[in-house]
Amino acid sequence: MIVMRQKPVTEIRDMVARHRRVLLVGCNTCAAVALAGGEKEVGTLAEILRLAMWRQGSQVIFEGALLQRQCEPEYVMQLDAEGYDALLSLGCGAGVSLLAAMIDVPVYPALDTMFIGVSQGLASWEAECSACGQCVLGKTAGICPITRCAKGILNGPCGGVSDGRCELGDRDCAWVLIHERLEHFGRTEEIAEIAEPKDHSIHTKCPAFGIVGMEESDPGEKP
Amino acid sequence: MCATNAIHMHAIREGTTRLSAPCRARCPVHIDVPGYLSAIADGRFTDALEIVLERNPLPSVCGRICLRPCEEGCRRCLLDEPVAIAQLKRAAADFGAYPVRKRSFPRPESIAIVGSGPTGLTAAYDLVSWGMHATILESEPLLGGMLRYGIPSFRLPDYALDRDIDHILSLGAEAKTRVRVGRDVTVSELAEENDAVLVAVGLPLSRTPPIPGAELPGVMSALPLLAAISRGERVEVGSRVVVVGGGNAAIDVARTVRRLGATKVHLVYRRTRQEMPASEQEVKEAEREGVTLHCSLGPVSIVGDDRVRALIAARCTSIPGEGRRAEPTIDEEQVTRFEADTIVFAIGQAADVTDLALPLTPRGALEVDPLALRSPAEKVYVAGDVISGATTVIDAIAAGHRVAALIYRDLTGDARPLEQLDEESAVLGKVPDAMASKLETRRRIMMERLEYFESVQSFEEIESGYTEYEAAREAQRCLSCTSGARLTREKCASCLTCMRVCPHGVPMLQLGGYLYFDADTCHACGACASQCPAQAIALEGHSEDEMIQRVQRQLTNTSLETTLMFACGSTPILPNIAPGDTRTLTVTCLLRASERTVLRALQEGATRVVFAGCVESTCRFPHARKFVRQRAARITALLEALGMTDAFFLAEYDDALDWHLP
Repeated sequence: MIVMRQKPVTEIRDMVARHRRVLLVGCNTCAAVALAGGEKEVGTLAEILRLAMWRQGSQVIFEGALLQRQCEPEYVMQLDAEGYDALLSLGCGAGVSLLAAMIDVPVYPALDTMFIGVSQGLASWEAECSACGQCVLGKTAGICPITRCAKGILNGPCGGVSDGRCELGDRDCAWVLIHERLEHFGRTEEIAEIAEPKDHSIHTKCPAFGIVGMEESDPGEKP
Repeated sequence: MCATNAIHMHAIREGTTRLSAPCRARCPVHIDVPGYLSAIADGRFTDALEIVLERNPLPSVCGRICLRPCEEGCRRCLLDEPVAIAQLKRAAADFGAYPVRKRSFPRPESIAIVGSGPTGLTAAYDLVSWGMHATILESEPLLGGMLRYGIPSFRLPDYALDRDIDHILSLGAEAKTRVRVGRDVTVSELAEENDAVLVAVGLPLSRTPPIPGAELPGVMSALPLLAAISRGERVEVGSRVVVVGGGNAAIDVARTVRRLGATKVHLVYRRTRQEMPASEQEVKEAEREGVTLHCSLGPVSIVGDDRVRALIAARCTSIPGEGRRAEPTIDEEQVTRFEADTIVFAIGQAADVTDLALPLTPRGALEVDPLALRSPAEKVYVAGDVISGATTVIDAIAAGHRVAALIYRDLTGDARPLEQLDEESAVLGKVPDAMASKLETRRRIMMERLEYFESVQSFEEIESGYTEYEAAREAQRCLSCTSGARLTREKCASCLTCMRVCPHGVPMLQLGGYLYFDADTCHACGACASQCPAQAIALEGHSEDEMIQRVQRQLTNTSLETTLMFACGSTPILPNIAPGDTRTLTVTCLLRASERTVLRALQEGATRVVFAGCVESTCRFPHARKFVRQRAARITALLEALGMTDAFFLAEYDDALDWHLP
């Protein structure tokens, strides 16, 4: 799941301060699950922003709406943004972008999109995927070196490891973990294989190329 | 009858069957007991009273004298003691304000009600609530029937009864007293003038046994004696009194004659003590007041000359296995003699229907269709004890609801009230062991009452009622059965936060990512609802919008320095904050005050919001404390970012500071 967290309230306040009537749009998928942008957070954020504006003596109207998913055009089409001069999205970056593409008013992000992660219990997540586009997990026994290694190197460990810990001191060395797990599965010989550099051009190509879908779909037909 | 209960559970999951708490299911009028107890736990007595009044027009009466079938069903019974449901109803009536409604009669129909006992009063209450005209006719000078003239004032004082009756009259029910139907006006005349006539005359006569000497001076019947006392008349009973009978009336008579100066009061009952219909509690109290019980003794004759001298009673043996109504056999050989100045018979009540001129059965009772509650006479309905035999107040109220719903249906064609009465519901099972082990035992709070030596000196009410604080504390013992978490599936984001929050394993994951909340184990703490990011979980009878409305009501006419304090209902002490304008809102748990509620309060006129609570030793929901702290930290952080450092704080009470011992 995509993990997000709310921006500092002052940052959000300053973004929307120049507007008169702002619609807060929640997202009931990842953002809700990440406890950052569901109906509850929409209500709370609207309230704190009202309070912030009231204290500044400026009159900005904040109202709330909720979409099942902000990253789907069909859902976004259900949004009634009539009469608002700005939107504040409580979705991930994709949600903000789709709202901005489909609705003709300024759209601001209320959340910072952090990573793709797994739940560690109540209100806590751990990053497990960086969406690099060329998955190596099959070779690394299910442990992502891009995400969990501070350097994101494809052949490790580096010289900074000591006692299985990363030199940054805040985590275990991903590569040591990878070696241990490969050994556990009797795949020690694979450790010696040198991984080729990844094709980073995938991130620099025209965004239309980033569309994943059926062959016949026309990349030009972006919503 | 599904063996695994799966069909039943399925119906509940799908929401096709309403789920009832056992207290509610056992109440003949199905009062929303958990609902009003939770309102009392929050100190909202008026809200509690309104919830009671939805189903019971006589809360002040039932709060005192109901035999409380609800308490037998209380799920706390197996843990410690049932919650004092009836006495809390009294607290609602004592401290709550009866709603004031504008009288309006959108419907043209008028109904005459003969008799102002609980059945008649209830029917009048329902009919005027539905916009019809109702006129109660009562032969006595005051309304109330058996409640006023049959129940002594030390159990039900007049002021308590008047409170309920005044409320019913305030809604628009008319009353004509000192009108004896059958003599001053006939039923057929009433039927001509009205659209319906309800005969709810009850059982005003006392039976006397056909034994020698029953006509002697000094032999009395229970109801005339109790009625005379209620009217304030002087009754001489002498110092030795024998009361015959084993029902609540017999106990009431025995306790009444104790107060009239009788020093030796014997209660003679022909069956065993276990078979006594009187409530166990009343019997015990009578004994404590000095009434001597003699069971398995039946009266055979009364000895006397110009007046009563003694009662001769013989040993009775009831044949086990033949049911309650089986006649005991009398052994004339074994007799006991009770010296007496007065003998009072309280062996049963009888109807007085001869004057009504309605069709009778061969045995002399009113002829009535038991389902339609109609007499063969046109427009005439019959309900209450007069057809069912002697019952309890709450049963009589239920009878009043039913006949009112029938009258309403017959006159308007609208059967909704009737359908509501017949609505079925599944009943919550007993507390599962896994839950019971996590519950703290808490003894029932005893009500302040007169000592027994004091109580027999006067007709003063024995129980003085809970104080507001005691009532709230007692109501907090309620396990809030069925008022726990309810999930709106359409809103659920399947985030599993509820599962991670709940310490009792109530939310369970089902196929397809759906969650199911097991009502059997839910404590209704509200932790899941407070954390649900999609606001898909709500507690029955509680909503954030309602809470915000309460805040708004509290914050009318605020000053420049107004503090709004959310006080945990379980907190025995409130923090000492600077003197000034402080408004207090009591909540079941501080988690019911959401971030949004607090932030809204600051815009509605509060300059500061305080969370007063989380006292470890009195906390009802220990696992919720960390969420309260978390919430407080979040609100503080949000407000600090805006420079509002003084606008909010959490006042936690440190138990450790309260230690006096070294």
